[in-house]
Amino acid sequence: MPEHILSAFDRDLEAIRARVMRMGGLVEEALLNAARALKARDEALAAEVRRGDRAIDALELEINESCARLLALRQPIASDLRTALGVMKIAGNLERVGDYAKNMAKRANVLAQMRPIEGAPGSIKRMAREVHAMLSDALEAFIREDAALAEDVRQRDLEVDQMYNALFREFLTFMMEDPRSITACMHLHFIAKNIERAGDHVTAIAEQVIYVVTGELPGESRPKGNRDVYKVIPEGEL
Amino acid sequence: MNNCSQGTKVTARNVNVWYGDNHAIKDVSVDISDRMVTAFIGPSGCGKSTFLRCLNRMNDTIPTCRVEGELCLDGEDIHDARVDPVELRARVGMVFQKPNPFPKSIYENVAYGPRIHGLARSRAELDEIVEKSLRRAALWDEVKDRLQAPGTGLSGGQQQRLCIARAVATGPEVLLMDEPASALDPIATAQIEELIDELGRSIAVVIVTHSMQQAARVSQRTAFFHLGNLVEYGETDQIFTNPADSRTEAYITGRIG
Ligand SMILES: Nc1ncnc2c1ncn2[C@@H]1O[C@H](COP(=O)(O)OP(=O)(O)OP(=O)(O)O)[C@@H](O)[C@H]1O
Ligand SMILES: [Mg+2]
Repeated sequence: MPEHILSAFDRDLEAIRARVMRMGGLVEEALLNAARALKARDEALAAEVRRGDRAIDALELEINESCARLLALRQPIASDLRTALGVMKIAGNLERVGDYAKNMAKRANVLAQMRPIEGAPGSIKRMAREVHAMLSDALEAFIREDAALAEDVRQRDLEVDQMYNALFREFLTFMMEDPRSITACMHLHFIAKNIERAGDHVTAIAEQVIYVVTGELPGESRPKGNRDVYKVIPEGEL
Repeated sequence: MNNCSQGTKVTARNVNVWYGDNHAIKDVSVDISDRMVTAFIGPSGCGKSTFLRCLNRMNDTIPTCRVEGELCLDGEDIHDARVDPVELRARVGMVFQKPNPFPKSIYENVAYGPRIHGLARSRAELDEIVEKSLRRAALWDEVKDRLQAPGTGLSGGQQQRLCIARAVATGPEVLLMDEPASALDPIATAQIEELIDELGRSIAVVIVTHSMQQAARVSQRTAFFHLGNLVEYGETDQIFTNPADSRTEAYITGRIG
């Protein structure tokens, strides 16, 4: 896209984009660190993730304020308007992912006090890494204005959903075999659910990128995973 | 029979305009709907005023100007020998880019059209038309105590509104407005936009404007002109959120195209 005649307009937009990338970077880090803290039972790292959430929230506020300023002073239209609107939504979604990372860090602290559940933190970390990779690509798609890459991110959410379903079943088995594991498994399940949710937010970010670049929000063509989680399991099979 | 669309208020087919050797409008075809506001936008010199003047044969008055192509009002060729240009211009009213009040009183500026077209049966009725038109143009309060003063003695923005009052006084079927708010303060601008909105419900209004926000606010359709070509024409919502042509995008977002 050619430059604006008014160069201050370009500088404003660049500053907003840079803030989104900074916020995205912090969220990526929080997600990975929370998963690491969980697996390594590292309470110091978990505390760091929890403290870091404030910076993420502050950036969201800053992004919204600079977008409001842009709307009021520059009255952007067409792709400029889509950027301002898209960025506000992207910042909102990043903030949610940051919250989930913080929540995971909190539960990592609690879980560190309990008897470990074999294998679960490893599976959760794999799932977090997958969402992290999606987030990296979504941010890359945003800055490169690459709708195809954003669409690829969107499609990958299915894998995260499948990982969650598998974990869900695994936790059920654990809890049935050993009722003493219920508290830990409940925490682990919330963590898995939150990462799955984080994947949805990353998908929403990818959709906003597509909107900003093409002017159209993608339709409902995203693959949906199986709905096992919602199935009522007959008592005999438990 | 001509190539004009039925049911469209104004139709232009393959219109070309030259000023001497200068090819100012290049093969423009467009349908302008009734009861709708259509905005013409584009960089200075791209031909907006020229094309607007085609719609009521105002270019006939410019000696170097040559117009070719088909132009219809309600499906009838406006260049047909039976069409009287003066009558045509009463049906297709115009507000010019530069305010041009007659060297007469404020009252006469507005009353002139209705009087020659026999729209008022009495002085009282004429008074009523003048007041209503001046109110619609958001000028009444400023001039009601000096209706006999010369129109040329008004400020630039007041003259512009006087010309708008004059244009609406005859009750045209189509109103062409060339930058009608260019010299107006924000309050008068809002009042004129309100008038355009109201007129657009009953007649066809075509407005030329350099304010992208204004075009987006008041119109339902937008046409983007560039170097004499009609580059893009469509729903205003779409043009301002997701234009199809990169030249449109560059222009409306203030980029170097
Ligand atoms: N009366 C005239 N005689 C000769 N050339 C003219 C005349 N009016 C316009 N032109 C030429 O025709 C082209 C289109 O002019 P026009 O006034 O239609 O542009 P415009 O889009 O209305 O510009 P602006 O936004 O500055 O009013 C220009 O190159 C202009 O110089
Ligand atoms: Mg002009």
